[in-house]
Amino acid sequence: MTSFRVTLGVFIAFNALVSLTPSSALQTVQAGQGPALASIGPMTFGPDGTLFAADNQGAAIYALDLGAQADGGAAGAKSLDGVDEKLAALLGTGAKEIAVTDLAVHPRTHNAYVSVMRGQGAGAQPALFRVDGAGKISHVSLQTVKFQRVELPNPPAANATARQNPRTQVITDMAFADGRLWVAGLSNEEFASKLRAIPYPFVTVDRGVSVEIYHGNHRAVETRSPVNAFVPYTLNNQPHLIAGYTCTPLVKFPIGDLKGGDKVRGTTIAEFGAGNRVLDMILYSKDGQEFLLTANNSRGVMKVPTKSFANATPITAPVESETAGVPFQKIASMTGIEQLDKLDAANSIVVARTAAGSLNLQVVPLP
Amino acid sequence: MRPGALHAVAAAIAFAAAAACGPSSGTAPAAINLVTPPGGGAAYIEVTGAPDSMRRASPEDLARALRVSVDADAPPVLGTYSVAGRSLRFTPLYPFDPGRRYRVVFTHDALPAPLDATVGLPAQHTTPSTVVARVYPSGDVVPENLLRMYIEFSGPMGRPSGIAHMKLVDEDGREIEGAFLPLDYEFWSPDHTRFTAFLDPGRVKRGILPNQKMGRALTPGHAVTLAISREWRDEHGLPLKADFTRVLRVGPADTQPIDPAAWRIEPPPPGGRGGLVVRFPEALDRGLLMRALGVRREHAAVDGEVVIGGGETQWTFTPQAPWRAGAYQLIALDILEDVAGNQIGRAFEVDNFDTVDKSPNPTSIVMPFTIPAAPAAPTR
Repeated sequence: MTSFRVTLGVFIAFNALVSLTPSSALQTVQAGQGPALASIGPMTFGPDGTLFAADNQGAAIYALDLGAQADGGAAGAKSLDGVDEKLAALLGTGAKEIAVTDLAVHPRTHNAYVSVMRGQGAGAQPALFRVDGAGKISHVSLQTVKFQRVELPNPPAANATARQNPRTQVITDMAFADGRLWVAGLSNEEFASKLRAIPYPFVTVDRGVSVEIYHGNHRAVETRSPVNAFVPYTLNNQPHLIAGYTCTPLVKFPIGDLKGGDKVRGTTIAEFGAGNRVLDMILYSKDGQEFLLTANNSRGVMKVPTKSFANATPITAPVESETAGVPFQKIASMTGIEQLDKLDAANSIVVARTAAGSLNLQVVPLP
Repeated sequence: MRPGALHAVAAAIAFAAAAACGPSSGTAPAAINLVTPPGGGAAYIEVTGAPDSMRRASPEDLARALRVSVDADAPPVLGTYSVAGRSLRFTPLYPFDPGRRYRVVFTHDALPAPLDATVGLPAQHTTPSTVVARVYPSGDVVPENLLRMYIEFSGPMGRPSGIAHMKLVDEDGREIEGAFLPLDYEFWSPDHTRFTAFLDPGRVKRGILPNQKMGRALTPGHAVTLAISREWRDEHGLPLKADFTRVLRVGPADTQPIDPAAWRIEPPPPGGRGGLVVRFPEALDRGLLMRALGVRREHAAVDGEVVIGGGETQWTFTPQAPWRAGAYQLIALDILEDVAGNQIGRAFEVDNFDTVDKSPNPTSIVMPFTIPAAPAAPTR
């Protein structure tokens, strides 16, 4: 067998577009009734009541028209202690066998929708429930639900073996803004921060833009730190996203004129501390002021006035203190929060884990 | 004979004579059975010998009459009801869990008392058998700024993140706090046999707060032990068969981008299906190696199988069809990373905030190689 060292210097052609990658295949959009989700969560509602549900295992996002199943309940949502046990019992299993994957509030009825995975391993199955203002739990049957489904792009790959590769993508958060569904995700291989904007209704061949968000933190590039949660927000009359990154910079960036393949420079406006990630964030108004409420996995709930977001001094140098940037207030009364959404003008709704380990659905006045 | 396995004939009772039930109800016995259909379909609960009036009952009436729950105080399990002859059947929306007991109560005016039974499918898995099969990087030495580890199991694991069951322990037996990134996402492969754990890049990266406060998780010149608790549960909810530990020696930080010019390409001889071997001077990320390298000939992908070896320093490609003499290309996507997260031409730790790259992803580099012509047959 011939063995020799190839002098590569003269042969390397940089920046040639890859024609091999299946990711360049056309986007597939399906529509129909009775979606077959392999998994469910996270979720978000569009302003018209369309429920967007991520299917990480199926590498797809569904737009669900809940139809009559969205109607008929008492408006609002009510606290339910031991909601994990109640949902598990309906699913014929124990609380340890389910995972609450997200919580979303219907924009018209203000009913709470809870997504659940039942079971363990690759065979776990998705379920969706509605909790109304009387505390009644209704199972949402997907059989009658009309849907649109858009596939996430295939991962880049340069060989056929890769078609069976063990890479998966985890969608961390979704929000609807500016006529588009914004999707943040990361993979179990590349350590990357990718954000995708998909026009809705989903359109064949248009899988939206994919952007990479840079933020000038610590003078070191942070582009590959994942976005955990984000909210759309208007700053200086321009649509922006406010995003929480792992360990835990808060970053703003404009989204008005993003195009596919753009790499966007975001601005870090706060540091919420190390060893932490943002689980959820919501925006609300109280007493004439606007606030961002963030639930964190190790640093509790933080209330952040948004008035300084537009003109906040960017953090571009190493932070010597534990936290930095725009001021915030810790909300010590909210503990164990795993899911957070805005229920109405005066209340949030959370899924909170108790000291004993069970999950409560709680309506909590906005702080 | 019943067409399936009966897991329980848990309760049987004779109907009292009652006109409301019609003549056929008479004194026929009623019984609650948990039935697994032949061929392995989903198990269902069946009440045999049910009153004729059940055939005319509404779905709501059927649900009131036959209540299946995980315990006496729990709400009824979601499912569908049907009546065939004198059998009332409940099929759960989600299959019954093996090993779980279900309370079944059948209530009817024709019964002197509700029929009450506890039924369940036998537990299928009771003995822990899943083990940690491999950990990548597989080499003995890892750089101080190691970015990620892949944990491969002998069988499918449960859904939750395993970060809580993993720790790094220093030479004094102390756990290195905060070594792994606090991402409790389900970083599983589709078959749930491989989990990805990211080390905290804030600790890896110089000059940012966690790193300044705690230093890097790994210390060059010292050993560190990866300890995985057997409490990590598999897809059956069972613990691992055993705890797992692996000692890694820590080498200097790798802060250099991948340099393909340092790769060594060893083309196989023509005419066969020998492996194309590419050797790297450092360990690359196994997951990305599997899909970020490929072979092309005349602008078309060459199909073949990839094997990674040598502690992730060697990539071997075996084509489906024999090699032909002539020009080929090795393609490397720029997503490829070494074990410290350095990419081709871009180190993990680099201040390129001021030089945002506008080029679209992914890009690739192309490395030509040649399969030499077979030597001419000797002439007589």
